[in-house]
Amino acid sequence: MLKPEEMTRAVVVGSIGNLDATIECLYELGILHLIDFTKPDEEFRLGQPLPKASGDSQKLLKLRSMMRALGIEEHRPKDRLEVSAINKKLEQALVTLDLNTTKKTEDKQKIQALIREKETEIRALEPFRIFGLVVEDFDGYDNISSFVGICRRDPSDQLTAKFTNIELFKDVRKSDIAIAVFAKNDSKSEIFRILSEHDFQEVKLPKLTGDPGTIISTNRAQVDKLQANLKRIEADIAKIRKQFADFIISSEEHLSIEVMKAETPLKIATTENTFIFDGWVPKSRFREIQQALDSRCGVLVFVEAISSEKEDEPPTKLKNSKIVRPFELFISMGSTPKYEEIDPTLMLFITFPLFFGFMIGDLGFGMGLFLIGLVIRLKMKGSPDLNRLGTIVLAGGLLASIFGLFVFAEAFGIPFHPPEPTSDEASWESVANIPIHPMIEKMHDVNELLALSMLAGWVHLTVGLAFGFFNARHHSLKHAIGKMGWVLMLFGLFEETMVIAGDATMTSQFINSTVFYVFPTDFSLGLAGIELSIPALVFIVAGVVTLLVTEGAFALTEITGIFTNLISYARLAAIAVGKGGMALAFNTMLFPMIFNAWDSPGAIAISILGAVLLAVAQLFFVFFLGALSAGIQAIRLNYVEFFLKFFEGGGTEFSPLSYERKYSVTTK
Amino acid sequence: MALDQGTGLALIGAGIAIGVAGLGAGIAQGQIGAAAVGATAEDPKMFVRSMIFTVLPETIVILGFVVAFFLYGLA
Repeated sequence: MLKPEEMTRAVVVGSIGNLDATIECLYELGILHLIDFTKPDEEFRLGQPLPKASGDSQKLLKLRSMMRALGIEEHRPKDRLEVSAINKKLEQALVTLDLNTTKKTEDKQKIQALIREKETEIRALEPFRIFGLVVEDFDGYDNISSFVGICRRDPSDQLTAKFTNIELFKDVRKSDIAIAVFAKNDSKSEIFRILSEHDFQEVKLPKLTGDPGTIISTNRAQVDKLQANLKRIEADIAKIRKQFADFIISSEEHLSIEVMKAETPLKIATTENTFIFDGWVPKSRFREIQQALDSRCGVLVFVEAISSEKEDEPPTKLKNSKIVRPFELFISMGSTPKYEEIDPTLMLFITFPLFFGFMIGDLGFGMGLFLIGLVIRLKMKGSPDLNRLGTIVLAGGLLASIFGLFVFAEAFGIPFHPPEPTSDEASWESVANIPIHPMIEKMHDVNELLALSMLAGWVHLTVGLAFGFFNARHHSLKHAIGKMGWVLMLFGLFEETMVIAGDATMTSQFINSTVFYVFPTDFSLGLAGIELSIPALVFIVAGVVTLLVTEGAFALTEITGIFTNLISYARLAAIAVGKGGMALAFNTMLFPMIFNAWDSPGAIAISILGAVLLAVAQLFFVFFLGALSAGIQAIRLNYVEFFLKFFEGGGTEFSPLSYERKYSVTTK
Repeated sequence: MALDQGTGLALIGAGIAIGVAGLGAGIAQGQIGAAAVGATAEDPKMFVRSMIFTVLPETIVILGFVVAFFLYGLA
């Protein structure tokens, strides 16, 4: 559970005539993680793709361009298509599709381009049609410069005041002014300056002749005709799409698989007459390869396990039981563990729901999350990642409900019974007398929550460091012992926090009387008002000495790190209290509005308004934001505090030769 | 509730310790967070590493919390 699946290096050797059948068989088995052959020499060459590769990939290319042309890349067929049917129909279908689709999509593109061109002309000419000039009059003089365009503000007063021999046309429109100015070349730059000051934007007129109004109406008529044409072609394409979409998607999948298989020899070593597959197989399934190749596929090949060399890094296939597996999602968000490393999924399975449940700690909100998780799981069957997320939310919600029911005894931020120090607080007592009393009162026993958080931190970090010891012991015993130095120091720090807490909390009382029973509790000295435990100091010093010997003096800079790591778990208490406090605040503010307004006029309306406000505030601020922050903090404690103690990552994920058919199916 | 001057000062000190530490961590975390989101957008595999960088300044608040906690104990 804590280790990935054990791997064996396997070599499959056979005569080149059997290559095709062997590839087929290995893909069907789906347990060989191929090591790419990269160093050809005189004896061993890279293999050649199977003969069918080029034909198949050409067909695949055609199918994919059809998919783009028909816009069906996202289409998902409802039924799976039989592979034999695909093979039978493919040639004919490709010819039909080629004839129809290619021509039609080309026509469509041409018409669309033409429509765009005509519309651009209309847009350019439209503002200037009322000037009464033909298009060729606007431009093309030797001694006269023309400015045609749009201004934000009217420049005509300034222009006519400054120049007498200019001709100016303008049309004041809703938000701007269409303008055409004609002037002698020598005043060109000055006019341009004035126009620029009025945010002039030049309009490039199309190279046409005649009256703009006539051109515009002809263009409009043409566009209408083109649109009608386009509609007809699109209807034709839609017909083709309807007829062929399922077939194209299923065939594309089938051909992708065929091409992938046919190109596999490019990754293996071959000689003139033989081929060699070199790869990793899960040890427990090694015998299956030989059996399958012998009996099922009837191919004469030899399979042999070879001892791997030290520098070979096998791929990692996480091995967890079905109930733990959804938590592999958290691993896949980061980096795959190395083959030799400990797989932390099991710890995530334990700690994530526990931390999350502790922070939410509310029967009502917990049940809500549980239901949301259930819905995600049921609705998102198609997406494995969302499905796993659903399971994680479900587990978190379950633990939150358990904490809410037995530890904090509250639902929707309202306690089952009013807490002792504030006996007038709203509680479920007015609805029902639930026979469960809180073990910890969230809003009053903050120190208890803090002490529990420290305990969680100590256990979690110690497990992390122990994992670190196991991971490091493979390459350096010194590093591994260094981890033990941290364990000692952490033990000292934890004891110190428990001594400071003293008898103030049940947790510290319990820890001091059990784990630290052997140490004399009054064996301490005061320093700046803080009680320092001497046994704790001894552990810390022992840790420091171990670190000095194993990791060197530089490691000592990290001492504050382990201290802050431990205190960092105080966030468990902080979120729990913060969330409880927010729920309490909204309840305290809005309960009087709902229940106490009965004698005022419009009482029902006020009550309903209060109830709606309360529901929205609780749902958004407490439920969603609370769940989000609890989720982030629970995973962060794992990623940052826990993982950094042992996790290196950077392993290769186990990806065997295999394929998955979603829209096609083979029957034997 | 009447507080003597020393207690009041200790409590103000506790507030400053956690408040200013939080402000400092927030400023630092904002800049790292922006870069981290960018990195994660380019490569989702960077999520965990980005998260680790983003939470580094939190050490400041944690130490601020410890100081505040002890000052609160003195008050």
